[in-house]
Amino acid sequence: MNAHLLQPAFVDPVLDAQRGFRAALKALAEPGLLQHLPSAPRLDGLAPATYALCLALLDMDTPLWLAPSFDTPLIRANLAFHCGCPLTDKREEAAFALLGEHDLLDLSGFDHGNDRYPDQSCTLLVQLTDLESGRGLHWRGPGIKTQRLVNVPVPQAFWLERQRREAFPRGLDVVFSAGHHLIGLPRSSRLLEERA
Amino acid sequence: MSVSPRQHWIGVLARAQLNELQPHEAALKDAEYQLIRAPEIGMTLVRGRMGGDGAAFNVGEMSVTRCVVRLADGRTGYSYLAGRDKLHAELAALADAHLQGSQPSLWLSDLITALATAQAKRRAQKEADTAATKVEFFTLVRGEN
Repeated sequence: MNAHLLQPAFVDPVLDAQRGFRAALKALAEPGLLQHLPSAPRLDGLAPATYALCLALLDMDTPLWLAPSFDTPLIRANLAFHCGCPLTDKREEAAFALLGEHDLLDLSGFDHGNDRYPDQSCTLLVQLTDLESGRGLHWRGPGIKTQRLVNVPVPQAFWLERQRREAFPRGLDVVFSAGHHLIGLPRSSRLLEERA
Repeated sequence: MSVSPRQHWIGVLARAQLNELQPHEAALKDAEYQLIRAPEIGMTLVRGRMGGDGAAFNVGEMSVTRCVVRLADGRTGYSYLAGRDKLHAELAALADAHLQGSQPSLWLSDLITALATAQAKRRAQKEADTAATKVEFFTLVRGEN
């Protein structure tokens, strides 16, 4: 076992996990609105917000799929120790997936849930370098009053890929994270292409 | 089943009483260390088998406290113990970390042997007390014919 790689996680395990869960809940309830997670711990390779989400959401009942860029001994050891989540290399089995920007172009294989239990789909945790430098796109849908301008820097092809995988109520929920911030993109949000 | 030396000392530390560990508190904490998992209290389900080999059944739940520490040189110490004593868990984890060092014999003779002796004594005392209450049942031949 790689005991020497272990690092402390949340300072206050109960309250910090609740804050992380609350932030994820708000991010998905109000798509496109920036959520702040100030108390997140750090781990090399993971942004504080990403790590806080992992610590709050993962446990032994949630198999996690790690993108190759996150598959380091350090991340493996700490997730195994603090979350106790099984790691899987089969996308179909994953309840959560940890992706980087470059993994967004191929979302094949992840569980989309089924018509009876759409909630059993895989939730994608996507780590980006920042959340505000991308091309502005207008989002609309539940949780947005009319429309909301969001500047998440993801490749254009991601939106096509997402649309291709969509068969409401089945679909994939995404939480983008960077630094200490989160933005949620539930399957119900639609794009309204920006003119100009 | 053989018990490795580490299994033995972790067991001894878990069964020790806090007032036996406290005299060593200063020595145990006399090293730079960080809490990887601060002492936390939880529940665990205890299962048993009737007669030792029957079907497994749930006996009940008990509270456990666990802790993981790491010394500055990278050694990690673990503790799991029955009850809700966080200080005991931290001291036991520290002792486990120190015992994995280059001079475990010093700690073994100072701490573990003394603790194990005290525990054996307590156990023998309890067994003796219990033995005094033992009742032998036997049936007399009934005088009907």
